[in-house]
Amino acid sequence: MQWQVLRMEVMMKSRKLLWIVAGTAIILFALLNVFRKGEAETPRAAVAGSVAIDSAKCIASAAFMRANHMQVLYEWRNSSVRTGNRVHIASNGSKFEKSLNTCLGCHSNNRLFCFNCHSYANVKPKCWNCHLSPMETP
Amino acid sequence: MKKVLMPLVMVAILALIPFVGVQYAGLSYLFGVIIPFAAIVVLLAGFLLRMADWMRRPVPFRIPTTCGQEKSLDWIKYDRLESPAHFWEAVARVLSEVFFFRSLFRNTRAELHKDANLAYGSHKWLWLGGLAFHWSLLIIVLRHSRFFFVMVPGFTDFLDHADGFLDVTLPTFYITDAVVLAAITFLVLRRLMDAKMRLISLQTDYFPLFLIAAIVVVGVLMRYVVRLNIMPVKDQMLRLVNFSFDAPGEIGTLFYVHLFLVSVLAIYFPFSKLMHAGAIFLSPTRNLSNNSRQKRHINPWNSAIKFRTYSEYEDDYREKMKKANLPIEKQ
Repeated sequence: MQWQVLRMEVMMKSRKLLWIVAGTAIILFALLNVFRKGEAETPRAAVAGSVAIDSAKCIASAAFMRANHMQVLYEWRNSSVRTGNRVHIASNGSKFEKSLNTCLGCHSNNRLFCFNCHSYANVKPKCWNCHLSPMETP
Repeated sequence: MKKVLMPLVMVAILALIPFVGVQYAGLSYLFGVIIPFAAIVVLLAGFLLRMADWMRRPVPFRIPTTCGQEKSLDWIKYDRLESPAHFWEAVARVLSEVFFFRSLFRNTRAELHKDANLAYGSHKWLWLGGLAFHWSLLIIVLRHSRFFFVMVPGFTDFLDHADGFLDVTLPTFYITDAVVLAAITFLVLRRLMDAKMRLISLQTDYFPLFLIAAIVVVGVLMRYVVRLNIMPVKDQMLRLVNFSFDAPGEIGTLFYVHLFLVSVLAIYFPFSKLMHAGAIFLSPTRNLSNNSRQKRHINPWNSAIKFRTYSEYEDDYREKMKKANLPIEKQ
C-alpha cells in the first residue's frame, strides 16, 4: 500500500516538473525570438539613413586583412544579402558599407590589386562570377 | 596501452617543438629552412639507399605467390593476373596491387561465434579504408603543388577543382580532407577495437598514423580555422624548391608546426614501415612472373660442378677392374 502511495507521489511530482520545464522552455523560446527579431531590425533601421563611409582607412589592419579578407567578404555577403545588414562596424567603431565598392574605393588605383596575389597563390575566388572585376571596368 | 599512448605523446611533443621554437625562441630559420632541407636530403638518400639495398639482393628463383591457373599447355587457359607467365602480366599484377590493393580485397576475417563456431567471412573494410586513405593522401599531396610551382600544372588544377566541387564553406571545403580524417580514424580504431589486432599492433604502427593525422589536422586548422597569410608561405616553398637559403618571411606558427611534422615524416620514412611505398615494387612474391616451367632458372652463385664421366672413372681403375673381372667398355 505504502509503496503505491509513494509511486503516485513520484508520478505527481514528475508531472509537475514536466509542466515547469516545458513552461520555462516555451517562455524562453518566445523571449529569445522577440529579442532576435529586435536585433535583426535595429541595423535595418540604421541603414535607412545613409552611412558615412570613411574611405581614408581600411576596415582592419593589413595583417588581419591579408589572412582573413575572404572571411570578411563572405560574412559581408551573407549578412547583407540574407539579413539586409549593410553596415560593418570596425573594431575602432567606424562604420563602413558592406560592399565591394568599399574595398575598391581605395584599392582601385591598382587594377591588379586582387589578381596579383590570387594568381600567385593559385586561388580562384568566385567574386567575379557575379561582380564586375576591376580588370573589366574601364 | 603504452604502445598507443607513447606514439601519441611523441607526436604531441613533436608538434610542440616547432611551436615553442618559433613562437618563443624565434627559430624560424631553423624550422623553415634548415630542417626541411635536411629532411628532403634524408628522405631521398634514405629511400634510394634502401631501394638499392633491396635491389642488390639476389632473387635466383621464381617465388611468386599465385592463386590462379599456371600457364602450361596451350589449350589450358591460364590466369594472366593471378599467375602471370610474362613480364608485362607481372607488371599489371604489381600495378593493380599498387593502385587498387587487390590482395586486401581478398581479406577475410575469422570470428568465433557462440557455441564455439568458427566462422570465416569476407572483410572488405580494411581494403576500403586503406584505399580511401592512400588515394586521399595522394590527391592532397598533388594539390600542394600549388605551393611549389609558380605556374601550377593543369592536372592538379583539375584535381583541386574536383576535390572542392561541393563548393561549400569559404575556403572551399575539400572532400579529401574529410575522407582522409575518416579513414585514418577507422584505421586507428581498427587496431584498437579487435583484441587480435591490438595484440599484433606495435608502436611503429600507431606512430605514422598519429603523425599523419596530426599533419592533416594542422593543415585543416590552417585552412578552415586559423587563417594564415598565404603569400609568405608560397614564397618560402618556392625558395625551398629553388634551393634558396633565404630566411622566411612573417608566417604564422602553425605553418611551422605543419612543416616540421612533414619533415619528421620525411626523415622517419626511410627507416620505417612507410618504406612499403617503394618495397611493394620489389616484392619478389608479387613482381616475378611464374614461368618456372618455361624457363630454367639457375642459381647464379652456384660454383661450377666438376663432373666425372664414366670413361674417366674407367681410365682410373681399368687395371683393377680387369683383375676383378669386372666388365669394361674400352680395352
